[in-house]
Amino acid sequence: MIKTPVCDLLDIRYPVLQGGMAWIADAELAAAVSNAGGLGIISAMNAGGDWVREQIRKAKSLTEKPFGVNIMLASPHVEEVAQIVAEEKVAVVTTGAGNPSKYMKLWLDAGIKVVPVVASTAMAKLVVRNGASAVIAEGGESGGHVGELTTMVLVPQVCDVVDVPVIAAGGIADGRGVAAAFYLGAAGVQMGTAFLVAKECNVHQNYKDKVLKAKDIDTMTTGRRLGHPVRVLKNPFSREYGQKEYDSSISDAQLDQMGAGALRRAAVEGDVQRGSFMCGQIAGMIHEERSAAEIITSIMTQTEQILAGGCPWLK
Amino acid sequence: MSTLDKVVEILVEAKDLEADKITEASTWDDLGLDSLDTVELVMNMEDAFGISLEMTEDMKTVGDVVKAIDAAK
Repeated sequence: MIKTPVCDLLDIRYPVLQGGMAWIADAELAAAVSNAGGLGIISAMNAGGDWVREQIRKAKSLTEKPFGVNIMLASPHVEEVAQIVAEEKVAVVTTGAGNPSKYMKLWLDAGIKVVPVVASTAMAKLVVRNGASAVIAEGGESGGHVGELTTMVLVPQVCDVVDVPVIAAGGIADGRGVAAAFYLGAAGVQMGTAFLVAKECNVHQNYKDKVLKAKDIDTMTTGRRLGHPVRVLKNPFSREYGQKEYDSSISDAQLDQMGAGALRRAAVEGDVQRGSFMCGQIAGMIHEERSAAEIITSIMTQTEQILAGGCPWLK
Repeated sequence: MSTLDKVVEILVEAKDLEADKITEASTWDDLGLDSLDTVELVMNMEDAFGISLEMTEDMKTVGDVVKAIDAAK
């Protein structure tokens, strides 16, 4: 059995967090992951407070176990949503797309464990100083908004500068990845793409099918020109967007406009031509739609087998 | 050494910038620095000056940083 400080800290059976995927990670997915022994996470994305409160209450009705909410710090509703998670006293808040320092006191005072996603060692140090219980070191293999560093490089360096548990994210979807993350110094993992195809995930079936079909080379990053790179599946939309980033006749505003609503078109409408299918590089290794419980137990069983076997090269 | 000089020294040392291109009016953008660079730099400033800085959205220029450091001293 695998037990790490992340299990004790977050009161979960397996040290596995489900990534907060905008337009994808809702109360039903979060509750399914929490019921399976991981930590499910609702994505607050760009949504308003009413929707977030409704999702939190729905998750509470679906599971007795702790779950989290991911706060996207660049959201226009971030102030309101930050307040609502404090009022609802969710167990855990994870944050993405920025520096959460401004809200940390509010959450800590509400008894919430704050676990920010960090893409650099300096950010990790900053959030820990401000009271973070753990950090998620997310490499650029992941889907959606990505940093420059890879998981392999980022995780051990973050482990070296903070004294709280580090959760590795980006490029993990099987026991080999989890075992590797442990060897890099992490005490837990966060997986997004792996749970996107969970049976309990309400994302459009076309989205799941694209992830299940994806091969190793089927993702790309777009958005560097606007300073917010995102990893997405290659499709007519992302290829065209990628080309326009290098087209000086297109203004930044036009480019921004082109991206607006594209994730929704993918996740809700399943528009395979015009949608933006955010997805991690690990999609190439995900071939099966399974329940959240099957995903977690199969991955953790494989992890145990690998760790119990030690390293085959050690003579 | 003035606060500005010390801040410029830190910027030059950490990011290989050219000192004579940095003024109080320089923004992070002007210097080609992204949000992760700025977090790292603010941490460097804290260590160098032995202070604690609140990173806010108003901290856009080198001059803003100098002001924040002087206020925190």
